[in-house]
Amino acid sequence: MSSLGRAALAAMLIVGAGTANGQITTVVAAPPRKTEPAQQAAAQKREQAAQDSVARVTMTGMKEWVDSASSALAIRPDTVPTTSDTALGTPRAAASPARRSDSSETVRTQEPTAEFKKGARAPDTATLIPAIALSGVALILAGVAMKRRERLARSRVRR
Amino acid sequence: MNSRGTVSNALIVCGALLLIASGASIARAAIARDAVRARWAEIEAGRAVAGARLSTSGARWSSARGTPVARVMIPRLGLDEVVVEGVGDDELRSGPGHMIGSALPGDSGTSVISAHRDRHFHALRGIAVGDTVITDSERGTISWTVSRIRVVRADDPALDARATPTLMLTTCWPIRYVGPAPDRLIVEAVPK
Repeated sequence: MSSLGRAALAAMLIVGAGTANGQITTVVAAPPRKTEPAQQAAAQKREQAAQDSVARVTMTGMKEWVDSASSALAIRPDTVPTTSDTALGTPRAAASPARRSDSSETVRTQEPTAEFKKGARAPDTATLIPAIALSGVALILAGVAMKRRERLARSRVRR
Repeated sequence: MNSRGTVSNALIVCGALLLIASGASIARAAIARDAVRARWAEIEAGRAVAGARLSTSGARWSSARGTPVARVMIPRLGLDEVVVEGVGDDELRSGPGHMIGSALPGDSGTSVISAHRDRHFHALRGIAVGDTVITDSERGTISWTVSRIRVVRADDPALDARATPTLMLTTCWPIRYVGPAPDRLIVEAVPK
C-alpha cells in the first residue's frame, strides 16, 4: 500500500471511528430511553386518575340510585327511639343524616334551612310579599295624587 | 313635562313594578301549589291501585325536599293543604312544609308543619282549642285535637321534642302583620 493509500485508510478509520462513535452515542442515547418510562408512568398516572374520577362519578351515581331506590321502595330501618326525651330517634330522623351525606343533598344542605331538634325555633315563615304589594299600592297612590295636584294647579293658572 | 310630573310618573311606574313583582310571586306560588297537589293526587291514585297504605310494599314514596309527604286538613276552617318535605323558601312557596328531622304525623315524637301566614296557613287566624285537625301521610289518616295555642317570639326555642305523637302547626304572628312578623303562632295537637 502506498503512502497515499495508508493515509486514505487512516483517514477512513478516523472518520469511520468518529462516525461509529457518533452512531453508538446516538443509538445508546440515554435521554429518550430514560424519559420513555417516565412518560409512560405519567401517562399511566393520568389514565389511573381519569379512571378513578370515572369510578368516583360512577359510585356517586350508584349511591344516588341506591338512595332513590330505597326511598321509592319505602325501605326504612324500623328503629325504635331508645330515649324518651328526643324525637330524633324516629325512623325519619334516623334516615335524615344518611341523606345528608349524599353528594346531591350536600348542595341542598348548604341552603339556610331549619332542621328539627330539641328546643328548635319555629321556621322562618315571614314573607315580604304583603309589604311589597302594599308599598307598590302606596307608591301608585302617591303618584296619582301628585298628578292630580299638578292638574289642579294648571287649571288654576289658566283661570 | 316638569320635574313634578316626572316624579309622579316615576312613583306610579315603581309602584306598578312592585305590584307586578308581588303578583308574579303569588302566581309562581299558585303554580307550585298546583304541581304539588297533582303529585299528591298521583300518590293517592297509586295507593288506591295498590289497595293499601303507603307504608305497605308496592307503594311509591319519596322523602326528597319539595315532594309531598302529607296532607293536613282543618274542616272547620276549610283548610286543606298538601305538605311538602322541608321548610325552605322553595318548599314553603308550594305548600306547608314538614320540618326535616321531625316525625311524620303519626310517628312517635313531634311533627312540625309550617307555612306562610298570608298563604297556606292564613286560616289559622281562626283556630281554637278543641278544633279537629286531620292528617294523611304514609303513616295513615290521623285525627288530632288542638290542645294548646301559643304565641312566642320568633327567636324563642319553642319547639319541644316529645316522646308521644304531637302535631305542631306553626306560622308567623300576627297574621295580618305587614312586613317580617316578630312572633310565631304555634298550634299543638294530640291524637284523638
